[in-house]
Amino acid sequence: MSEQLKEILSRVAGETLEKLAFMFSFPEDERGTIILDSAVAATISFVGPFSGTLVMTVSNQLLPELAANMLGVDDEETTLDQQHDALKETINIICGNLLPAIAGKEVVFNIDAPVIIAGVEAIKKVIEDHDNKPASIVKLNIEESECDLLLFINGKFTLAS
Amino acid sequence: MTLNILIVDDSAVMRAMILKTMHMTDLPLGEIYQAANGQEGLDVFNQHWIDLVIADINMPVMNGEEMIDRMQENPDTKEIPIIVVSTEGSKTRIERLQYKGARFIHKPFSPEIIRDTVRDITGIGVSDE
Ligand SMILES: [Mg+2]
Repeated sequence: MSEQLKEILSRVAGETLEKLAFMFSFPEDERGTIILDSAVAATISFVGPFSGTLVMTVSNQLLPELAANMLGVDDEETTLDQQHDALKETINIICGNLLPAIAGKEVVFNIDAPVIIAGVEAIKKVIEDHDNKPASIVKLNIEESECDLLLFINGKFTLAS
Repeated sequence: MTLNILIVDDSAVMRAMILKTMHMTDLPLGEIYQAANGQEGLDVFNQHWIDLVIADINMPVMNGEEMIDRMQENPDTKEIPIIVVSTEGSKTRIERLQYKGARFIHKPFSPEIIRDTVRDITGIGVSDE
């Protein structure tokens, strides 16, 4: 089941990045998790048949590229506000598409507003608050930059199909 | 005739993306207004004539569904076409929005689906192909 979950997370993230930001990603299982010193994270929590949190960490290099691609402008033209907004909207869309992919379209989830987590300690704390036990980790390479997705699920869940 | 459009989404980047998409179409655009939540959206109706609303659902302060409900309670706004652009994946919720008269576009969207839905809902620009 964890392999299936990972496959779903990887596919939904890849499709979202491609359609939303015209960025192509591929899984990079062999590398370690992203170096938090040079990364920024966003988290989004959800409640439904099961509850949990999705954490998306991107390298500092990827952050302006993501915003620029979404807006159709050059990297240098984006503000930090726009970069954070872009990351939040991206995780929002990944999460919105991920949950029905896991649990089916018949169930209802309430998804909180995404939040930016900046700083190594703050990101570590989010992960520790979930006992450091993600149900799934996907490490992506997006145009030579790194992006990690950690999905934490509280309690039991079942895959719809 | 030109279309005055109100884009309601809590993400400024998403509003800019929708706006960019609108400019990529050959739709006759009039004034484009933006709001970051349902309440701000309702405030725009008091000040401007709007022909079409493109709205997100998950937003702070007032969500998109509540804004749609308020629009339908008001004779001045109840006939305005609404396109919901959202990540919502629940069939029940999507059907409820459609029952309220809104068209639904799933995020992430392609520019074509926005263009085609706007054309379809307004009946404008269909012969421009
Ligand atoms: Mg939103």
